[in-house]
Amino acid sequence: MSTKLTRISLLIFLVLAFFGKYNEVFSQSKHTISGKITDKTNGEGLIGVTVFLKEPKTGTQTNLYGFYSVSVPTGTYTLLVSSLGYKSVEKRIDFSKDQTLNIELEEADNNLEELVVRSERDDQNVRNIEMSVNKVEMKTIKKMPALLGEVDVIRSIQFLPGVSSVGEGASGFNVRGGAIDQNLVLLDEAPVYNSSHLFGFFSVFNPDVVKDVKLIKGGIPANYGGRVSSILDVRMKEGNSKKPEFSGGIGTIFSRFSYERPYLKEKGSFVVALRRSYIDVLAKPFLKNDLKDSRFYFYDFTAKTNFRINEKNTLYASGYFGRDVFGADFGFNWGNATTTLRWNHVFSKKLFLNTTAFYSNYDYALDSDLKNENKQDSFEWNSDIINYSLKPDFNFYLNSKNTVSFGGQMIYYTFNPGKATATSGGISRVIGLDKKFGLESALYISNEQKVNEKISLNYGLRYSHFLRLGPGEEYFLKADSTNSRREVTGRSEFSKNEKMSSYGYLEPRFALNIGLGEASSLKLSYNRLAQYIHLLSNTTATSPLDVWTPSSNIIKPQISDQIALGYFQNFGNNIYESSVEVYYKKLQNQIDYVRNADLLLNPVVEADLLFGSGRAYGAEFYLKKNKGKFNGWVSYTLSRTEKKVAGLNNNQYFFNRIDKLHNISTVLIYDITKRWSLGSTFSFASGTPASFPTNKFLWQGMALPHNFTDERNIYRIPASHRVDVSATRRNKHAMFKKGESEWVFSVYNVYDRRNSFSVYVRQNPDEPSKTEAVSYSVFASFIPAVTYNFKF
Amino acid sequence: MKIEITKKIGFLSWIATILFLTSCEDVIDIKVKDGKQQLVVDAWLTNETREQKIVLNYSQPYFQNTDPIPVLGAEVKVISDNNKTIAFTDENNDGIYTYKPRSVDYLGSGNLIKLSIKAGNEQYESYSSLKRVPEIDSVSYEAFTFPVNVTNGGPKNGFLAEFYAKDLPGEGDTYLIRSYKNDSLRFKPSNITLAYDAGFSAGSKTDGLMFILPIRQSINPVLFSDGDKLKVEILSIPLEAYYFVLQLRQESQNGGIFATPSSNIPTNIFNLNPKSDNTALGAFIVSKVSSYETYIDKNKAKPKK
Repeated sequence: MSTKLTRISLLIFLVLAFFGKYNEVFSQSKHTISGKITDKTNGEGLIGVTVFLKEPKTGTQTNLYGFYSVSVPTGTYTLLVSSLGYKSVEKRIDFSKDQTLNIELEEADNNLEELVVRSERDDQNVRNIEMSVNKVEMKTIKKMPALLGEVDVIRSIQFLPGVSSVGEGASGFNVRGGAIDQNLVLLDEAPVYNSSHLFGFFSVFNPDVVKDVKLIKGGIPANYGGRVSSILDVRMKEGNSKKPEFSGGIGTIFSRFSYERPYLKEKGSFVVALRRSYIDVLAKPFLKNDLKDSRFYFYDFTAKTNFRINEKNTLYASGYFGRDVFGADFGFNWGNATTTLRWNHVFSKKLFLNTTAFYSNYDYALDSDLKNENKQDSFEWNSDIINYSLKPDFNFYLNSKNTVSFGGQMIYYTFNPGKATATSGGISRVIGLDKKFGLESALYISNEQKVNEKISLNYGLRYSHFLRLGPGEEYFLKADSTNSRREVTGRSEFSKNEKMSSYGYLEPRFALNIGLGEASSLKLSYNRLAQYIHLLSNTTATSPLDVWTPSSNIIKPQISDQIALGYFQNFGNNIYESSVEVYYKKLQNQIDYVRNADLLLNPVVEADLLFGSGRAYGAEFYLKKNKGKFNGWVSYTLSRTEKKVAGLNNNQYFFNRIDKLHNISTVLIYDITKRWSLGSTFSFASGTPASFPTNKFLWQGMALPHNFTDERNIYRIPASHRVDVSATRRNKHAMFKKGESEWVFSVYNVYDRRNSFSVYVRQNPDEPSKTEAVSYSVFASFIPAVTYNFKF
Repeated sequence: MKIEITKKIGFLSWIATILFLTSCEDVIDIKVKDGKQQLVVDAWLTNETREQKIVLNYSQPYFQNTDPIPVLGAEVKVISDNNKTIAFTDENNDGIYTYKPRSVDYLGSGNLIKLSIKAGNEQYESYSSLKRVPEIDSVSYEAFTFPVNVTNGGPKNGFLAEFYAKDLPGEGDTYLIRSYKNDSLRFKPSNITLAYDAGFSAGSKTDGLMFILPIRQSINPVLFSDGDKLKVEILSIPLEAYYFVLQLRQESQNGGIFATPSSNIPTNIFNLNPKSDNTALGAFIVSKVSSYETYIDKNKAKPKK
């Protein structure tokens, strides 16, 4: 490893030693209270719960495992524990010695909540150091109308400010002008490389086992890294630790089933959940001849368990396995698999450690002859990305004013860009590219500091490093500034574990919160992020065939610098939250593609890449009503996303394909009675840029497009807007007079609008010498759906 | 790389109906800026004795669906590498410049063939070369039924044909395959088949193999019926022409979810005066052709699988 890394670990050690000393000197008269905060009904650890001591006006938040720790001088204080959606708990605590206090919170009843006197710490969003962060409760996501009735985490977050997608039905999401591969999508800390089923229609997260969804768009803390635009941190449920529970549902696309229960006297609990599309089962009787053996389904299996060894140690294991399978005798399948092992260790009341080890894999395979009937001619192809990682993260609750986080991560990557076997006329040839290997490592330290009652800071530094390891090849290309394939001028070969290219970056992170009054604050943040792996995708929406590739001598790591400023204000006793944020993001080493780029099975794929820079800036307005029968939010994003690439658009900045000037979303939920609730969403977005030819020319009877100025993205497709609605009816019981159940009725695209996904030109299919423009809509009609959910 | 397996089209389109049950395409009106009118050269010569054509006309605004304006009075010459000059003439004054070869080797050895065009005050040139082409050994066909109704205008029940030919040993041969049903050429962007050696693209390591199955079966844009006349042609094309046609195909069908950014189709026609604004479009390609003809006879068909 590089000496820089060693130096940084030394620095961290020194800082810790200092803090340790500091702690000793000042801690005589102080006492610490720490513990875990859980949900009363199922024992799940709660993330981001505010723990506040009224008299000294100090507090903290629970970490990702529900753990908290606060230190204060001797005395008796009122402890207030509060979290959105839960009833607050108040306790008088005598701080005469260190103590452990585990607290269970009871879910709040939304209907009654408005009558309860507001506790004063519901203004988390204002007081918190975090900015550019959106959390959506699963409770809310489940009430939002969903496409075909299938509750979807990734579709839901697209209603948040700063989040968009290239179009309905496209895979993934874009955050503040970032590409899809610039989002680090984490499922229990393991990255998920393709977050979609069915080419992008549904996301891979089973809503029944998702506990918490947090999207970080800016001010990204030092413990996260590896992608330059955002972090989507999805945490799975731990499993009910109080009682066994079955839940599930039947929707239009999936049927779902999950089971969770405690074991070993509530020392542990687990949850297993399976989701599978079932249209193939229904269609089976209607399939004849060639189609009899058709396979078309997708499924995911999610499991998690935790085991409390003792007060100080808890183990977690979680896994995800999902797959899409299509084919008859020709087959195509793809999927992700992740496994995460975690160990929570409480060293002391002040030092908390989580160590994560994970494995993540995304792979796909194509086979022209699944049944091996034709020995003479076939084609098989597979590609994957696999990684293993170890990641210790420490939280050190130094004193009531400082919380230090530090840790590191190592990821070992194996990229299989594609291996294929082509057999023609009985002769087989193996086509394929060699595997690529890489090691990404990082160390970080950060401190969240409450300077005084008004000002808090979070400052940190992350050092990340990437090493491309042999065996492998590096190519040298002729310098060229046109939009065409580069000429290879040389090549060098590396042996196993030999150091190829390596990169290292210091990534400073900073956030500031200045309290302006009772319920408002001003926040500022800056972050730099480096990204060492890239998804090569030249299509409007990414496809399951797209391949991840590591940085090389030619592909430089992507770097982003983002600065954001925000004003946060709550009113109406914290029933309403509002914020305005402006951001400016600069991206370096952005990848684009030469004309006719060949990105699959191409040994010198670098010769087909162009590099440039990007910038994104905008303003995000957000108003949210948290409580009451009527709740939801309105968001408006005004933004620009541009890029500049040598060889394109006269080397000037031009609109990125994902640029949308205006983006308005509303999510409204109305809980009419205990039995009925209604949900509705509205979205409006400016059309994305498009390129059209200026002229046509006839060649061999075909009318071909030609753009005289050869500029991209100077036109716009029409704006899109859409309303979706849903109604949920809760029944008293599920089956056999037990448990509970609900019917969810939803209509997607209520007013039947044909929103353009893209507009393109083509030859008239019947007369290739005639030309026309076509608007393509993915969901061109309203789509009703019914879902039945149960729990008992 | 594109996986084109004709036999599975029925199945795939059926899947697509399920997946994209609600997708649709509407023809709409859009306004675009007009570019400058340019000379278009459509010159694809083969080593056959039938009349050879070079069509010259002007490009026009994209949505103007009238016939293009022909380029008249141009001087069109093809110069083979043995310095033999062939003049193409516009007998009918319609921008179609023709020449009727007396023998198949009218282009000489074909290592480097020059096209020279003088139109107005501008002088254009282009180069291409005649590459080798393999023979087609045979054609076979089997009775075939699509599992679902087909929308391509062809029959649901019919014969699926396959030609047999081997790529010539030596890496880097590029070909174009096209077919005729009852003497009508099927040559729309959607059924253009290109081969790089015996596979689809460079790096497929198919040198010297029999053309891969999807290429051999690419001659079925629609199924054949009993008694139909079937003709298959392999045309050798230089690598540059391979990329030209590849891009042409890409830009002609570039819509939907997985569209790529549109990009201009390159040209190999250049103005001798590099400073001139009057650049040209189109391509000059020369090809050797091998072909195979047969009539579909249901008694000779291979039995249904």
